[in-house]
Amino acid sequence: MAAIAFHQAIGTRYSYGCFHQEQGTASPRLVSYGFRVDNRLLRSENYRSSKRKLFFSHASTTQTPVFDPVSSPSKNATAESRKKSNEAALILIRHGESLWNEKNLFTGCVDVPLTQKGVEEAIEAGKRISNIPVDMIYTSALIRAQMTAMLAMTQHRRKKVPIVMHDESEQAKSWSRIHSEETKKQCIPVVTAWQLNERMYGELQGLNKQETADRYGKEKVHEWRRSYDIPPPNGESLEMCAERAVAYFKERIEPQFVAGNNVMIAAHGNSLRSIIMYLDKLTSQEVISLELSTGIPMLYIFKEGKFVRRGSPAGPSEAGVYAYTKTLALYRQKLDEKEMFH
Amino acid sequence: MAATASHLAIGTPQSRGYFINSGFQLENGNTSLRLTSNSFRVNMGIFRIGSYCSRGRRCIVAQASNDTTIDSSNKPKETALILIRHGESLWNEKNLFTGCVDVPLTNKGVEEAIEAGKRISNIPIDVIHTSALIRAQMTAMLAMTQHRRKKVPIIMHNESEQAKSWSQIFSEETIKQCIPVVTAWQLNERMYGELQGLNKQETADRYGKEQVHEWRRSYDIPPPNGESLEMCAQRAVAYFKEHIEPQLVSGKNVMIAAHGNSLRSIIMYLDKLTSQEVISLELSTGIPMLYISKDGKFIRRGSPAGPTEAGVYAYTKRLAKYRQKLDDMSYI
Repeated sequence: MAAIAFHQAIGTRYSYGCFHQEQGTASPRLVSYGFRVDNRLLRSENYRSSKRKLFFSHASTTQTPVFDPVSSPSKNATAESRKKSNEAALILIRHGESLWNEKNLFTGCVDVPLTQKGVEEAIEAGKRISNIPVDMIYTSALIRAQMTAMLAMTQHRRKKVPIVMHDESEQAKSWSRIHSEETKKQCIPVVTAWQLNERMYGELQGLNKQETADRYGKEKVHEWRRSYDIPPPNGESLEMCAERAVAYFKERIEPQFVAGNNVMIAAHGNSLRSIIMYLDKLTSQEVISLELSTGIPMLYIFKEGKFVRRGSPAGPSEAGVYAYTKTLALYRQKLDEKEMFH
Repeated sequence: MAATASHLAIGTPQSRGYFINSGFQLENGNTSLRLTSNSFRVNMGIFRIGSYCSRGRRCIVAQASNDTTIDSSNKPKETALILIRHGESLWNEKNLFTGCVDVPLTNKGVEEAIEAGKRISNIPIDVIHTSALIRAQMTAMLAMTQHRRKKVPIIMHNESEQAKSWSQIFSEETIKQCIPVVTAWQLNERMYGELQGLNKQETADRYGKEQVHEWRRSYDIPPPNGESLEMCAQRAVAYFKEHIEPQLVSGKNVMIAAHGNSLRSIIMYLDKLTSQEVISLELSTGIPMLYISKDGKFIRRGSPAGPTEAGVYAYTKRLAKYRQKLDDMSYI
């Protein structure tokens, strides 16, 4: 079939080692925008080509759906002004070092803020995702995750503005209302949810890790920390944490993808592991040994009802050529193009 | 009776209205410390312990002790009050009316917060109050990453029973090293009603420059469905008098991270300004303002010098000694 689009090839894949990559097929079929392009013409051109001959005939249409932060997202699924992408991005970011990590204290749901290092990790994470569209942000109710999200977004290229949603009371809702349609379109709603909190550590919260080992015995503590279903006294097991985190994900976050929204979740080790357990269909044995790096974003692509793990986007200083999917690569190109003309 | 407790209070004063009323009652400004019985029920003014000690467990609740112990004979004669206005937010950058819309900081705002933190790194802080908006909370937390004392700010949660119980700390030692952070909508920026989210130029075009100027700069004329400065001052100063002033009197050093209008309101109260004077008061962003609370009076001490400034700025003898102690400690 004749190629009538003039897009540059974006389709080089780059594997990241920490997680298994899906063995997807490498067939970049451009089906959006009404152009069908023969992929032989597109393959193996360097994404970072300095000759930016970008002929995006439909580049002006936004890749991401226009989102009204005030009304519920799923209601906007049929907005005809929006081109619904057939895939959506999910970014998971685990917050970096907190003041109690530094002191080696069990934190759980105690609301401890980031250290300077944690702040830097968040900014670094933001650079890595600066080219991935974000339409909705979900964080926990704890400041270290919220700060991580907001700091990361200071690096985002798109220039939409994250706005934290408030509905804890009628006054909170009415006081935070935005009265300009134009401005609302430029908003990325940020939803805070306790269901995304770190695993609640009960009576270990605030205790020194060494002291706790002395008091309860090393094996007992190890069991609480690393088993799936044994909670510390008056605390949550990983299973309990997973139950409320995944329930929240399914009920509130998953519909976002179906509606075509790209989502970022900034949360904690255990709540994110729980979600990954669901996304990757891990067993309880597997999830126990799953370690999620701090400050390194994890990317998933939601497509046709499935979540495809795409590893971790390269940092800006890394010379890799990482194109996550064609859609995301096109999006990135559009960002580059915009910057050229401003 | 001699106060010998040196525990840290984790109970928080309740903020009505914005957060879900959790039934956590507030004592009325009485700040005397009384140790009743041997079950460590500590009534220390604004921190009520009762509902916190659920299930008869020995709860580790008491009050912040810093270097000065809370003993009526030993009460510090003066305490520090730091006011920090948050830096640039994403809507400042875009020139949009923000008000109570919860917009975060820009990169520049983050840097301003860290810079502010360096300026106050030698001033003791026992309690932090911020608004309910992320830009003020982040400013406080970023500033505290620079603080030398090494106590850890912990945000208090009492929006629900679960929030309270889930955030409990179970080590006395750890509690002593905590600086409670209280978030309060009463410290929010002035609510700008129907102007929130509007472009400043557009608004001038729509309503006329004079009308907009009047809303922004008058004392008592609110924008449509919004607050006037007077209304903002009313709830901000009420909160200050009820929740913050007693802490200062009881010997706690306080930092408030908030917004232009809520801080002007408080300064209006501290400096006894008229409504005319407060209108023309401009508080720089990211530059902390220091007050000393002494004998029930507030003495403005200006703005602590940045670390690169070669000034010899000793706020008071007591603070200078405190700084020296920090210096000594860092040699150990």
